[in-house]
Amino acid sequence: MERYLRNHDAISESEQAILATKRVLVVGCGGLGGMVIECLARISVGYLRVVDGDVFEESNLNRQLLSSTMNLGRPKVLAAQQRIMAVNPLVEVDAVQADLAAENAMELLAGCDVAVDCLDNIPARLVLQQAAKVAGVTVVHGAVAGWLGRICVIQPGEDLLSLLYPNPEEAQGEERQRGTLSFTAALTASWQAAETVKLLLGKPGLQGEILEVDLLQAIVRKLKIS
Amino acid sequence: MIKVNTEDYPWHPGMTVRNLLDEKQFTFRHIIVRVNGEFVSEEDYDKWLIQDGDDVLVLHLMAGG
Repeated sequence: MERYLRNHDAISESEQAILATKRVLVVGCGGLGGMVIECLARISVGYLRVVDGDVFEESNLNRQLLSSTMNLGRPKVLAAQQRIMAVNPLVEVDAVQADLAAENAMELLAGCDVAVDCLDNIPARLVLQQAAKVAGVTVVHGAVAGWLGRICVIQPGEDLLSLLYPNPEEAQGEERQRGTLSFTAALTASWQAAETVKLLLGKPGLQGEILEVDLLQAIVRKLKIS
Repeated sequence: MIKVNTEDYPWHPGMTVRNLLDEKQFTFRHIIVRVNGEFVSEEDYDKWLIQDGDDVLVLHLMAGG
């Protein structure tokens, strides 16, 4: 199919067919989620369940791909759904306007091969990790603050987030002071999308490692943590 | 010699976690420190002595999306 010509041979035709059978949950449709959704829709993952309870605000415009001056006040998941349908109507979309919580996490994970953590607060990230452990779903975690980005892949049963967030009562981290920048979110999200595609295709990826990106210092560092 | 985020770093006797953070200029407000995998809370930074050969992980706390 001509749509996928420029995917080849980095993604083979048989791998393209595999991606079409895969189902991914993207939790959060903001700075990270918008770009993850863009990448996964363009590479043509067969089914995307996109989840976010928020509407766009003016403060999202500095970085969130799906936000525009035209959709302020509108639900983020609707923008995500419209974007996916516009970019690649072959992708089936399930748009869920809700915040992830312990009560709905298992339902949101049901039937998905991979969950992508694009959330913006620590308690919800911990809920997702715990639910994914029970559901047996791998999580691709991403987080940003200022010029810094972090990515890791959490296999079911691993508890990498307790290393990153030792105090679960804290809701936010350094981003409260340093904000979130467009290129940091885009780079981190792109890396999350790449790790997701590798998982879906059975290619080796991050394992027991944290990938840290410092765009100010121009440093990428891979830290072994298990 | 110690490891700080997988890289070699010179150790000196009496080196505390606080000394290391100051030397390496980790100035962010939200920092996570683990020495040989063990979490070091902020109130222990001044008294936690780093030993020669220790493996220190210093991470920024970040959760933005």
